[in-house]
Amino acid sequence: MEIVKEVKISENGFVFNSKTGDSFNLNPTGLALIKLISEGKELDEIKKEFVSAYEVDDLTFEKDFYEFFTLLKHHQIMVQSDPLEFK
Amino acid sequence: MEKLKYEKPVISKITAGVPSKFGLPARQKIISEIDGIPVSKLMEEYGSPVFVFSENTIRNTYAEARQAFETRYPKVQFAWSYKTNYLDAVCNIFHDEGSWAEVVSGFEFEKALAIGVSGSQILFNGPEKSEKDLTLAINHNACVHIDHFDELYLLMEITQKLDKKARVAIRVNMDTGIYPMWDRFGFNYENGEAWNAINRIMLADRLELIGLHTHIGTYIMAPSAYAIAATKLANLLVATHSKFGHWLKYIDLGGGFASKNTLKGAYMPGSETCPTFDDYAEAITNALISSEIPHENLPTLFLETGRALIDDAGYLLTTVLANKRSSTGRRNMVIDAGVNLLFTSFWYNLGVYPSKSPSEYLEETTIYGPLCMNIDVIRDAINFPHVKTGDQLVIERVGAYNVTQWMQFITYRPNVVLIDLEGRSHVIKKKEDLETLKNKEVKPE
Ligand SMILES: Cc1ncc(COP(=O)(O)O)c(C=O)c1O
Repeated sequence: MEIVKEVKISENGFVFNSKTGDSFNLNPTGLALIKLISEGKELDEIKKEFVSAYEVDDLTFEKDFYEFFTLLKHHQIMVQSDPLEFK
Repeated sequence: MEKLKYEKPVISKITAGVPSKFGLPARQKIISEIDGIPVSKLMEEYGSPVFVFSENTIRNTYAEARQAFETRYPKVQFAWSYKTNYLDAVCNIFHDEGSWAEVVSGFEFEKALAIGVSGSQILFNGPEKSEKDLTLAINHNACVHIDHFDELYLLMEITQKLDKKARVAIRVNMDTGIYPMWDRFGFNYENGEAWNAINRIMLADRLELIGLHTHIGTYIMAPSAYAIAATKLANLLVATHSKFGHWLKYIDLGGGFASKNTLKGAYMPGSETCPTFDDYAEAITNALISSEIPHENLPTLFLETGRALIDDAGYLLTTVLANKRSSTGRRNMVIDAGVNLLFTSFWYNLGVYPSKSPSEYLEETTIYGPLCMNIDVIRDAINFPHVKTGDQLVIERVGAYNVTQWMQFITYRPNVVLIDLEGRSHVIKKKEDLETLKNKEVKPE
């Protein structure tokens, strides 16, 4: 799963999806996270980076990561074409 | 290297052009303590969820209401509406402040007597009064507010049987411009039924008519409706004097003042829009003073104010059980208090607040209770910060009706705590346990 190519992310956390016409705001952690995702990094790698940079533990971050992911799919910023694909 | 402060990562859609209905408060309010006691300490001691009442708020609110009326009118008497909250400790505070009792059932009557209210200071309302209830009321010299003709005739029968007099008033319903008009209780003013009832009572040997009562509805936002009600009752009072040469002792305008809660569907918060006690007092007392009743015969003004006197004093402390996303990505939060404890969540958008500084980021959230039922929704849309499982929240303005209309369902009803004027906390109703519930069950032999 990748970030849809019509999605543009600005440096200050503004997101525009030209496919749907929707725009979004990211909070600073959201912006940091989406950047790592767009670089194609996997959860484990992202988690390691986050846990060492931020005051957060493994489990909390993992939970938040999956929730964030759900939102990206909901807003069609990422597309899940196969319901059995796990990410 | 120092670590960065973590905030849950979020992405939120920008809805341009649509004014946010959450445009009002910029800062997230936090309730971290109640009358000086930290929320965390209350929950540690009394569990979660737990209702907490502030004696200080009860007394201050009562003083405010009393002052609004007493500075404008010579004779004012509040009667505490038991159904609004009949925990003994709460009723005791109102009685200590000088309130009489307003009851609507044999049970409430017995409860008032049991905590030491004199029968002559009980107003007995409601459509359901059995022969036994009425006998109890007559024997204790209470004032019976007659609801319908069948009750009137039953009273005549009972007083004859007992060979005693009953002190009575009639409940009057009327058009005050309020929709819906509550015309199912009492005798109608406009069609002459109320006047008929007065005539019938004045001719009855053992019934002593001493007052007139109305309760025009609840959460009435228009003080002018009370002015109309007061004027109509004053007209009946004057007519009774003209025909029978008898001045009735009181006019009772019932309850119905709005509390600061926000009604569902309202655009602005109730705290910004609901009239003050002064607004209601001004409308009511002006109507009475400018009526045709001579000053020396002005009746005592009774008020049965319920929710406006107690809503603010009650809090429900609750714990976050889970955060989830719905299939559409919407944020859902589950807390450990459901609609079984919060009957008023069906009418109000109750205020729910974190007890400690939360994330800055707010997101539209649905707050669910823990019941396994679809109707268990505490707030369908509230802009709420991100909180974690185990975080403690405070729901405010839940003092009215919840601890009387709550239901026992799949779990025990929780502790109710009162914080007294010295800032000490006391359990005033204990959490239920298996024994409480099994106590009344009987296995067939
Ligand atoms: C007869 C009567 N008096 C007083 C009240 C208290 O009303 P409120 O809580 O709206 O002030 C009620 C409530 O229904 C009532 O029926």
